[in-house]
Amino acid sequence: MIGKIIRKESKEIIRDDRFKISLFIVVSLLIVAIFVSSNQYKNTNIQYEEAKTKERANWDSQGEKTPHSAAHYGTYAFKPKYPLSLIDQGVDKYTGVSVFLEAHKRNEAEYSAAADQTGLSRFGELTPDFVLLYIFPLIIILISYNTFTKEKEGGTIALLKSQGIRNWKLTLGKWIASLLPVVVLATILFGIAGILLSNLSDYGEFSWISLFALYSVFIVYYMVFTSITLLISSLAKKSGIALVISLTVWFLGCFAAPKIASNLADLKYPYPTRQEFTENVEYEKKKGLDGHNPWSEEAKLLEKKVLKEYGVDSLHQLPFNFSAYRMQKGEEHQAEIYKKHYEILKEQFKNQKGIYQSIAVISPFLPVRFLSMSIANTNYQTHWDFADAAENYRIDTQLYLNDNHAKNSKYQDWGYKANSDTWKNLPAFEYSPPILSDVLNDNTSIIIMLLFWLGISSGALFLSTKNL
Amino acid sequence: MFLYNFKYELKLLIRNKWIQVLSVIIIINMLFAGYNGKQKVDKRNADIENITNKVSQEDQLMLLQLDSIKQGHTVNLSKWRVPTSPMAVGNYHPRVAAMQPHDMAFVAIGQSDLFTHYTRPKVVDNSLTIKHTEMTSPVQLLFGSFDLAFVVIYLLPLIIIAFTYNILSQEKESGSLRLLASQPLSIRNWVLQKVILRFFWLVLITILVLTVVFVINEFSFSENLGAFVSCIILVVAYMMFWFALAFAINLFGKSSAKNAMSLLGLWIVFVLLIPAIMGQLSSSFYPIPSRTKMLNEMRALKAETTKKQDKILDNFLRDHPEYASKDDQGKTSFWHRYMASQRIINDELSLLQDKYDGQLRKQHELIQQFQYTSPAIIVQQSLNAMAGTSSTNYEDYRNQVASFAQQWQDFFIPLLYKNKEFTKEQYADFPKFTYQSEAEVTITTKIAVLVLFTLLITMIGWGAFRLNAKKGLVILS
Amino acid sequence: MISNCLIQTKANEYILYMITTRNLTKKYGDFIAVNNLDLDVKEGEILCLLGANGAGKSTTINLLLNFITPTSGEALINGIDVTKDPIKTKSFLTYIPENLMLYPTLSAVENLDYFTGISGKKISKSQLETYLLEAGLQKEALHKRIHSFSKGMRQKVGIALAIAKDTKVLLLDEPTSGLDPKSSNEFSELLKEMSNKGVAILMATHDLFRAKSIGSHIGIMKDGVLKNNFKTQDISIQGLEELYLQTMNYNEVAL
Repeated sequence: MIGKIIRKESKEIIRDDRFKISLFIVVSLLIVAIFVSSNQYKNTNIQYEEAKTKERANWDSQGEKTPHSAAHYGTYAFKPKYPLSLIDQGVDKYTGVSVFLEAHKRNEAEYSAAADQTGLSRFGELTPDFVLLYIFPLIIILISYNTFTKEKEGGTIALLKSQGIRNWKLTLGKWIASLLPVVVLATILFGIAGILLSNLSDYGEFSWISLFALYSVFIVYYMVFTSITLLISSLAKKSGIALVISLTVWFLGCFAAPKIASNLADLKYPYPTRQEFTENVEYEKKKGLDGHNPWSEEAKLLEKKVLKEYGVDSLHQLPFNFSAYRMQKGEEHQAEIYKKHYEILKEQFKNQKGIYQSIAVISPFLPVRFLSMSIANTNYQTHWDFADAAENYRIDTQLYLNDNHAKNSKYQDWGYKANSDTWKNLPAFEYSPPILSDVLNDNTSIIIMLLFWLGISSGALFLSTKNL
Repeated sequence: MFLYNFKYELKLLIRNKWIQVLSVIIIINMLFAGYNGKQKVDKRNADIENITNKVSQEDQLMLLQLDSIKQGHTVNLSKWRVPTSPMAVGNYHPRVAAMQPHDMAFVAIGQSDLFTHYTRPKVVDNSLTIKHTEMTSPVQLLFGSFDLAFVVIYLLPLIIIAFTYNILSQEKESGSLRLLASQPLSIRNWVLQKVILRFFWLVLITILVLTVVFVINEFSFSENLGAFVSCIILVVAYMMFWFALAFAINLFGKSSAKNAMSLLGLWIVFVLLIPAIMGQLSSSFYPIPSRTKMLNEMRALKAETTKKQDKILDNFLRDHPEYASKDDQGKTSFWHRYMASQRIINDELSLLQDKYDGQLRKQHELIQQFQYTSPAIIVQQSLNAMAGTSSTNYEDYRNQVASFAQQWQDFFIPLLYKNKEFTKEQYADFPKFTYQSEAEVTITTKIAVLVLFTLLITMIGWGAFRLNAKKGLVILS
Repeated sequence: MISNCLIQTKANEYILYMITTRNLTKKYGDFIAVNNLDLDVKEGEILCLLGANGAGKSTTINLLLNFITPTSGEALINGIDVTKDPIKTKSFLTYIPENLMLYPTLSAVENLDYFTGISGKKISKSQLETYLLEAGLQKEALHKRIHSFSKGMRQKVGIALAIAKDTKVLLLDEPTSGLDPKSSNEFSELLKEMSNKGVAILMATHDLFRAKSIGSHIGIMKDGVLKNNFKTQDISIQGLEELYLQTMNYNEVAL
């Protein structure tokens, strides 16, 4: 019986002009999106080529040099490429992909793509995630806004009800038929994406399971939208009204709510300005140990402590270069300061996230947006993760260089030059993003929110159609 | 006829809950957006004020220190921070180069969430080492801000669509059109009147709320009446465009649902599609070269110059004999060498930087032409420009900061090379940064294009109506 | 041809035809909805058009209203070609469709005020109330909103509109279908009153009994052609029914 309903509804949908128009919109958007993604693919690859080969080569071929000069010369940490980022770019456009690692300073990832674009890019880009997040729900609305109102307007509802079909079966049939076109489109899209991405040998590690997780999130999203659209259709008296209300929900959920959330988050838990942040860090650095300043109080204290520890009374008698040792201690101290201040930022974002999650109560878009980015490893959390890994690598590098200096020279010997192999022996920066199960574990509350949306919307639909 | 139409349209509007809801939506959204704008502008002003106060306090302290040094006391400072050294002052007492918000900054957040609004270039800085990107949560950047520009560009058209999609079709569907069409009047004019009445209703509400928002934001109407009027005219012209679309679609004589769909499709095309495609085109035509490559070049350059610092200093002093101090030949400090090579790096880097700025500028110029493909782009670009938050404004600010950084350097370099000490008297001669905001935004062409759009669409609607009338599809379907 | 409304009769007097069609034809592709139709309705006459669904009755009325344009031939109201000056011709007529729809959120008086207003007539509130009462609406219904009105009540507003506009021509498309017998009877009485005042009425209907009781003339249409046209007084109700059925079957027998 349900099969019959699905067939009838699908026939109506396919025979309608709206379906053809929608199909046309989606296909043309997807072509543009694929073009945009392939551009992104090419650009990232070029950047990587530049980065990986040249950057490491530069570092390796420094020749004989004082380790601390090498530390100032610095090196770069590059974000790995994630195949799913070609589907969902997430916040990558706003975070930048490389971090400069040098002595004494924790740098932010620099040169985000957004800062290098004109204001037009703020309208949004035609990427696959744009189509998946904004356009597909719209297609659902356009296809099924009149699922119930057409029966009311055409008077067929009376005939239908007189056939003795249970309302939930009728509703379920209509629900499946409304969902079907978008699910078919999404399945094709993800299938093609899977085949293309699994064949990219030079773009990170592709996992079918992650792709499937991403696919599942979107399918649930479409289920929610279908339920909402049908719910509105079952409550509205006229098709026109049903359409306009559904569109309002779409606009509110996908456009307004995220912006409202972002404004509230910024209002309640603002980030410091870049200048404030730097100055706070500088201020604390000034108070503490500075590897370049042997005269400060902190430096004197360290001297005393080390002399006592080694039971000698002059720095020259130490079995290592105390200057380099002090440099390392200063480095560690500064790293602590950075860590503290970045923790404050992270705390602030955690608070902001709370706001995003509470606004998700009025927008099914938000949980999906966050989940999709997380699975694609293009969310803010992964960026933090990467930045922390880069920072740890920086600290390790400093330790490696200062150790080398301390071991191989005497106190106050700044002329020491490490041999040219030293640089090659520094292990390369490796970063592997969190694995899928960890991502999902981290996002349980968001997943629950999404399932809550599914439950509420479909529950409301079946309740409202109980008495048609 | 017009009077009656007006009177009853108003009555219908007032009795129509739908329209009341829509009006309330506009009011709430605009007020909320205006409030958000105020928050952002207030924070920006507060940030600038804080830093200015802080700097003037530090300055007082520095002057006191200079006094005590003059009187022969020692000050509790690291050697390289003592303010008698010009480099210490140049590095540890930089000025604030602030970009004060424009009077209309609250209208559009634009690029203001991406970039900082004040910076303090040190004497060692150059145009590439001064960081201009703001520390904002990228999630916030991704979602964007709920500002007036958003309400006007995205929401207002949707409200207009909801307001007008069924003017004719509703009469047709409810059956009252038959009686109406049997009256001695032209249906086309009747629809036009209804559209115009609704247009005036919405324009009235919009102008009222906008004025309230401007008042809330303490906008000085007496000084900037022109800017306010331009903003209103722009918004009204944009609304006119959407009303024209709605009018034309109504005249096509399809059902309410079809009208809503067509109008929504056009909304997607004008507000989402065309801007995205234009953005993509402009960055395809003038791609920004790889930043990674730039960073590498920069470091190579630095490494190169560091190696040759002594030679560079010699050359520099040969070129600038005025800096070679005669009495103290041997005394070349780290700073002497550093600043001399910094010069060279600066010159080279500015060439590099020009490549990026040049591409960005070309992109921007292209968009200035592309904007006429969609009224949404026109309005976005104009509102950003009026608010002083467009990419161009920030580029302009960056350039001003760069040239101020140069001035700051030029102030200290002679002192450095002549091995002179910094004194209290020189404090008054510090170069000062004043942000020069762009001149007024002219919107005449933009309005003209919007009006042209409106006329064109109206004519298309007219033509469709005549065709339908011939086929007898206007009243009967 | 008939470019004005003055037609010379045998008695050499000029009689005013309010509704006239000459060779009026409307084709939709190969389908001929109205075929060479000649109609004349004078002041004070009521012509009832009978015929099955699709016979061309509604199309004729739509042509007279210029809702659709004729393929050939002419339709005139008060002697004016409806395609040439539709707005002028509409000022003489009132049209009451099968299901007269008004603005549900406006009251009867307000609806009437609106429709007369946009027709270019300024009429005082009290005068409008009188017209509505004249059309048979109950006093307490005058200021009620239309959404609570029955079809019969809405049609009374339509008649009131005709009265208020001082209409010369009344075009009715199956106005009594779906009305209860009492309302239907009241409506007929109203039409008779209008016709007594000199209004020319063209009414398309399925109701033979009603046509016989109020029509001054009866025409029977089939496949867009006017088959019979005669004075009502010349025929009994039984005769009318016989003639009607005969006309309807004519073609089928021939086939």
